[in-house]
Amino acid sequence: MRLSARPSSGVVLVACLLLLWEVSARLDWMHTPNWPPLTDVLVALAHDTLTGELPLLVGGTLWRMAAGLAAGGAAGVVVGMLFATLPMTARLFGPMVELVRPIPIPAVIPPLVLFLGLDNTMKVTVVALTVFFPVLTNTMQGVAAVEADTLAMGRTFGIGPLRRALRITLPAVLPYILAGFRVSLALALVVAVVAEMIAGEQGIGHYLVMMQFAGRAPEIYATVLVLAVLGYGLNRAFLVMEHRTIHWWFAMGRQADG
Amino acid sequence: MTQITRRAALTLAALPLAAPPLLGQNLTKLRVSVIPVLDVAPLHAAIREGYFAAEGIEIDTSTTTGGATGLPGLIAGQFQVTFSNTVSILLGVREGLDFRFVSGASRGAMTPPDIFAVMAKKGSGIRSGKDLEGKRIASNTRNNIVWLRGMAWVEKTGGDWHRVTTVEVPFPQMADALAGGRIDAAILSEPFVAGALATHGDTLERIGWPISETAPGGTNAQYVAMKDELNAHGEVFDRFGRALHRGVDWVNARLTDPVLLELIAGFSRVPIERLRQVALPAYPKGVTPGELDDLLVSMKHFGMTGTYPATSSLIFRTAAV
Repeated sequence: MRLSARPSSGVVLVACLLLLWEVSARLDWMHTPNWPPLTDVLVALAHDTLTGELPLLVGGTLWRMAAGLAAGGAAGVVVGMLFATLPMTARLFGPMVELVRPIPIPAVIPPLVLFLGLDNTMKVTVVALTVFFPVLTNTMQGVAAVEADTLAMGRTFGIGPLRRALRITLPAVLPYILAGFRVSLALALVVAVVAEMIAGEQGIGHYLVMMQFAGRAPEIYATVLVLAVLGYGLNRAFLVMEHRTIHWWFAMGRQADG
Repeated sequence: MTQITRRAALTLAALPLAAPPLLGQNLTKLRVSVIPVLDVAPLHAAIREGYFAAEGIEIDTSTTTGGATGLPGLIAGQFQVTFSNTVSILLGVREGLDFRFVSGASRGAMTPPDIFAVMAKKGSGIRSGKDLEGKRIASNTRNNIVWLRGMAWVEKTGGDWHRVTTVEVPFPQMADALAGGRIDAAILSEPFVAGALATHGDTLERIGWPISETAPGGTNAQYVAMKDELNAHGEVFDRFGRALHRGVDWVNARLTDPVLLELIAGFSRVPIERLRQVALPAYPKGVTPGELDDLLVSMKHFGMTGTYPATSSLIFRTAAV
C-alpha cells in the first residue's frame, strides 16, 4: 500500500460524481423533486443520525446480518467438509443442495414468513441461507485442492482421520473458506436489507421503505449512502482480517510469484 | 408472488398451526399488521390516547409497506388483527380462508375529493377511460381495491377495461413514471395524490375521482381476524373493538383539527405540510353486508368471479355496529 497525501484517482472520481449529483439536483436536470441535492441528503443523514434513529437501525441490521453470517457460514463449512470427506453424504444430499441453491432468496421470503414469522428468526434464517451456499461450494473446492502428498504424509505418521481433517485439511482449506465468506458478506447485507423491506418493523430496510412511502427523498438517499459506506467498510474490514488470519497463504503466493 | 403466497397460505391453513398464546397475562398483547396510510389513524389515536391500555390490551403494530405479508401473517398466527383492503380480504375468503371483519377502517367520501385519483400528464389529451384504450394505466397491485375502482372509472367514462393495460407500479414511483411518459395514467391513493400534485403539479393533473364517480361512499378497507381466534378469544376482540372505536370517535371529532394531521405525520412520516393538502377518508366503525355485497357485484364484473359465502356471515359482532 502506497502512502501519500495526494488522493488517488479513484477518490477523485467519486468526488467528481458527488459534485455532479449536487449540481444536477440544484439545477433540476432531472425535472423531479425526487432527485434531491447531496447537501440536503447529508442534512437528513446528520439529523436522523443525531436523533439516534439511524445508528440504532443500522446496529439492528448489522446484528441480524452477523448472526446469519455466522450460522450459515458455520453450516457451510461443516457440510462442505462432510461432503468432501464422506462421498456418500455428497451423493445423498448433493442433488437437493443443487436444487435449492439457485432459488432467489427474496422469492422465498413470503412463504418463510408463514413458518418463521416476521422478526429476527426469519431474517437471520434468510441471511444464513444466502451465506450457506457460497461457503459450502468454496469449502468443497478447497478440500478437493488439498495436496494428496500432505494427506499421505499425515497418514504415514499415523494421524487419525479426525485429526487429519482438523489439523491438515481445515488449515489448507481456510483461504477458500474465507474467500467464500467474502463473497457472502456483500450478499448478506443485501439480503438482510431486502428481508427488512418486505416484512416487519425492523432495521434500515424498513426505514428505507417507510421513507419511500412518506415521499421523503433526502432520507431515501441518505439510507442508500449509509448502505454504500457500510458495504465498503465491511469489505475493507474483512480484507484486513483475512490478511491477518492467513498471512502465510499470501506469503506463499508471493514466493511462488517471485 | 401473491399467488404463491396464497397457495402456501391455503396449504398451511389446513395444518393445526399453533397460534401464539393470547390470554393468561394481565395485559393482553395483540399484534396488528398495518400499512402506513391515513386509514389507520384511529388505531394510532387509540394507542396514543391509552384506550387500548384502558381495556387491558397492549398493541404492537407491525407496519408492512410493500409485500403482501399482512393476510398470510394473520393466517400463520403472526398477527391477531390485520388491516387490509376489502378486495384482498374477500379474495382470501373466496379461497376458503376464514377471515372475519372485526372493524371497519375507511370508506370513500360521498363527494369529491376522494382518497383515490386518476392522474394523467397535462397536454396528453387523456381525459377519460375511452382515451385510455390501448394505453397503459398504473395500479399499485392488480386485483385490489385501487385497481377495481380504477377499472370501474375506466368503464364509467366510456372505456373498455379489457383494452386498457394495467402496469403494476408502487405508489411512490407513480408520479415520476407518469411525468417521464412511461405510463399514460395512474390510479393514486392519498397521500400520494397530494404528493404528486405538490411535486409535479406543473406537468400532472387529476382527471378523475374513481370512488365518488363510480360508487360514492364505497367501502375501502377493514380490520380482520381469524374465525378460530374469534371463537376462542371473542372477549379479547370485544375489548379491541371498543378501544379502536373510541379511537374512531377521537379522529372523527378532529377531522379539521391540526392535531389529527400531527398524529398522522407521526406514524406515517409524511411531512405535515403535504398532509394539509390531503383528502381524508371517512372513518366508519362497522361493516355492513350491503357495502360488501355492492363490492362483490363490482368484483365479479371485473373478473374476480367465483363463489363467495354470504357476507353477513363474515362480520364479527364488533363490526356489526
